[in-house]
Amino acid sequence: MAESTFMGVPRSKIPWAPTIDYDKCDWCMECDEFCPHRVFERREGDVKLVVANPNNCVVFCRACAKTCGPDAISFPDKPQTVALIKSLHTQEGAE
Amino acid sequence: MNYVVLACTGLDKPEGSVAREVAILLAEEAGAAIVCPVVLNRTPARYKKALAEDRLIVVDGCATRCASKLAAAAQAKPVQKVLISGVVKAAGRALDPELRLGADALELARKIADDIKATGAAASKEALGAGQAPAEAEFESPSDFTVVVHEKYEFRIPLSGYFFNANDVWVQVAGTRARVGISDYMQQRLTDITYVDPPEIGTTVEQFGEVGTVESTKANFEVVSPVSGTVVRINEAVDDAPESINEDPYGAWIAELELSAWEEDRALLVDGRTYAADVERKAAED
Repeated sequence: MAESTFMGVPRSKIPWAPTIDYDKCDWCMECDEFCPHRVFERREGDVKLVVANPNNCVVFCRACAKTCGPDAISFPDKPQTVALIKSLHTQEGAE
Repeated sequence: MNYVVLACTGLDKPEGSVAREVAILLAEEAGAAIVCPVVLNRTPARYKKALAEDRLIVVDGCATRCASKLAAAAQAKPVQKVLISGVVKAAGRALDPELRLGADALELARKIADDIKATGAAASKEALGAGQAPAEAEFESPSDFTVVVHEKYEFRIPLSGYFFNANDVWVQVAGTRARVGISDYMQQRLTDITYVDPPEIGTTVEQFGEVGTVESTKANFEVVSPVSGTVVRINEAVDDAPESINEDPYGAWIAELELSAWEEDRALLVDGRTYAADVERKAAED
């Protein structure tokens, strides 16, 4: 299957995905239950949830963070990501 | 006119405890009647008269926004909404995890209640966008569609007058104004839409910033703005009947913005024909 793209840029070049702050996470799993894109995966052991498929995350979507009571999920800076996509977009277009 | 306050009584998060404290302060100091969310959920008729006649202030604890959703289910229109977790975040603060409020949290509740009292008196349905001169004529209904067929699904896409971002949000521009909504493809993916949380009027939005959220029986969807600008109107009809997005995705706009950088924004959007190709690809990948 062809690699997925976002705004013409290969998805793998866009570092947009949630980061879990394990000091805050209380393993309630609401984010995992919410996200239909299988970004998260549950694990056995001390760390019970990981961001297993960051490239499945919908670029600019931060909806899982809103389900997070302890505010343990963060995302990259949007304006910086937009700037990166713009520059990659130009490069891709030029190639 | 009397006030009623519908607040999260959340007993599982400190934000809920702050919301509850704010409601008590408004009851004590501004004579607001308290609407119990549990009773409202069980017996909505109990508050029918108050919600129809009095000015409603909604105080949500966390982003789950149960109080807002209960108000929407009761078809009540708040004159003011406050999200405690949002206020905490915007202030760069953090609440102690304890449910019993400490001095800091009590001081925060006091400040929020004072802010509501100060602005609440001036808040009105007009301030929320109702009653403003409509500009319907400027935004023409789409007439020319292409249809992407994938298995049993058909996704309609207007071929003129609409632009799309990669997050399946459309924009229709008329002069310096723009309306945004979600595409037919996205509304079908979300299935039955049950709740729309529009942005606040006056909010400045960057391109790819958030311009509201849409919730369905299946998922929450952040409306990623295709344009930058200032929110000048929200669509009360969609607020009242979220399912209208399912019925008429290109007519059921969510917010209207005064554009601030349309030419620049446009460069990162696609027209209907290009979007149709994107939808075909996305549907195949689903």
